[in-house]
Amino acid sequence: MNFRAFKTVFFKEVLENARDKRTVMSSIVMGALFGPILMVIIMNATINMQQDKAEQKLEVPVINQAAAQHLMRFLSAQDVTIMELDGVPEEAIKNKDHDVVLAIADDFSEDFSQGQPAKVMLYYDGSAKGAAKVSVNRLRSLLNAYDRSIGNQRLQLRGITPNLINVVMIESHDQATKESRGAMLLTVLPYFLIMGLFMGSMYLAIDTTAGEKERKSLEPLFLNPVKRDTVLAGKLAATVAFGLLTLVLTIAAFKLTLPFYPFEKLGMRFNMGMQVMLIMLLVLAPLALLAGAIQTIIAAFAQSYREAQTYVGLVLIVPMIPSMLLMFMPIKEQLWMMSVPILGQNLVINELMRGDSVGWDAIGLAIAGTLIVGLLLAWIAVKLYNREKMLFTD
Amino acid sequence: MISVENISKSFGDVIAVDNVSLQAPDGKITALLGANGAGKTTSMRMIYALIKPEGGQVVVDGINTHEDPVAARARMGVLPDARGLYKRLTARENIVYFGRLQGMKEADIKNRCEELVERLGMGSFIDRKTEGFSQGQRVKVAIARALIHDPQNILLDEPTNGLDVMSTRAIRRFLKEQRALGKCILFSSHVMQEVSAVCDEITIIDGGKIVASGSETQLRDKTGSENLEDAFVSLVGGEKLS
Repeated sequence: MNFRAFKTVFFKEVLENARDKRTVMSSIVMGALFGPILMVIIMNATINMQQDKAEQKLEVPVINQAAAQHLMRFLSAQDVTIMELDGVPEEAIKNKDHDVVLAIADDFSEDFSQGQPAKVMLYYDGSAKGAAKVSVNRLRSLLNAYDRSIGNQRLQLRGITPNLINVVMIESHDQATKESRGAMLLTVLPYFLIMGLFMGSMYLAIDTTAGEKERKSLEPLFLNPVKRDTVLAGKLAATVAFGLLTLVLTIAAFKLTLPFYPFEKLGMRFNMGMQVMLIMLLVLAPLALLAGAIQTIIAAFAQSYREAQTYVGLVLIVPMIPSMLLMFMPIKEQLWMMSVPILGQNLVINELMRGDSVGWDAIGLAIAGTLIVGLLLAWIAVKLYNREKMLFTD
Repeated sequence: MISVENISKSFGDVIAVDNVSLQAPDGKITALLGANGAGKTTSMRMIYALIKPEGGQVVVDGINTHEDPVAARARMGVLPDARGLYKRLTARENIVYFGRLQGMKEADIKNRCEELVERLGMGSFIDRKTEGFSQGQRVKVAIARALIHDPQNILLDEPTNGLDVMSTRAIRRFLKEQRALGKCILFSSHVMQEVSAVCDEITIIDGGKIVASGSETQLRDKTGSENLEDAFVSLVGGEKLS
């Protein structure tokens, strides 16, 4: 390969696109900062809402309060504000007027005095998010506490030790480390890193191929005594370079925004030292080649700049797939999975964030797997322009 | 010296170029004259080795363009039909880019660039970004970048298309200078006055086929016409009324 020609094309594409403010905006600002800043905002907002609910006085509408006056006094003593409910409980929950509604059964006091289980009904929405769940759980644990204290009193009155009905004592040992709690909230981090990288190279992939074709400068370019492969390799290298630059900036942006995450409030620790950042960079770097090559291939088939933008934009969905899968399905990691591009990166980064030490075999596989696929796609991208059809828009 | 022997090209069922042959000797300006859609651009694209002919061959200074396109391109300077410039680069950067791709030394690029600025009159805009250039300025930059390596063979596809009188004259003068230097110049055009004004040899193409070739005088004598336009019309089979 004519290395000087390769270098010439590379530096020309870098210079030309660096002069384009749109590129800089889309790759640096959008790609690198969008993810980290969005995550800071979402995490802080969620946690503040949950905390507010946990600290706030619990307000519970109760239906048929008169039937359970003793319970009402217990709840009041536990700092619960008891309210009357206008209307039916189903509606109140459906309209999100209240997180939870308590209804006392009509025969509650009768059953209660006869020592039968006395019924109360809890109305809530099991699919509701974070903050509403807090209210439900608080009321449920208060009711459990009431249940236990009355039950214990009844047994003691009959001279029986309450221990007799505590058959099993459960002692919880939660194996979630502080890092792993943080990681749960950060499962989207790999996605943002990968998306930043795709966004960083997207513009160049289009500009250097479909853009050049549309501006009618591709034909004169190919009339130089340089093989088309070499020209395309130079262009692809520039595209990949922009992807890598965005990747570095995205990692740096995450590092810089770390102090703004509410880790303290959650009692979490999240570690992103130099070594972690370097491994992230190492594992993600081959993806820049893969991203640039896919985008170049797709843009090559487009007839116009605008068309290329549409198609290449759709590619942004691809890195979402493994991230989404991992978010909703706890997959047991297998070593072979590391070699699947994007999935491997997701797994390695998730492990890094959980504070687990990641084996070099996993890291090596993630790099090698992506690199092989990336090189194959790059080869296709470069060879594509040997087809005459690719040269003209008309 | 460019020698084209029996090249053909079809796109699907349409035969764009059918068995075209022509000679463009050194020290002469040769025209490929034809109406719009006659097959000029496709022929030119095959001659400058952008697309492959389906049969026949193109030989440039003894190099078969099909066998060694890279070496053949180094012997040619081409102003194609597509003449897009990089609008975020200055005119000089556009020209230097092509100089480097031609494999020239930096010092040679610089000297040759200065020479072309002078000859084509680009002094006032050479260091401006090409965004917003006039048609004439764009063509001058496109010619300069095509000829940065001072090629022996110069090929131009409709070089004065859409240019005003002053730019057209500047380009004609430049081509005549190049002819005086012994270059081989081949250009395609559909403009009779243009061909009449600068060309030594004329090859007329119609419907993808060569219908006649010779000097302007020869073509006029052959058809008994007063001017090239009448000769052309008579050679391509009269005026079609559709």
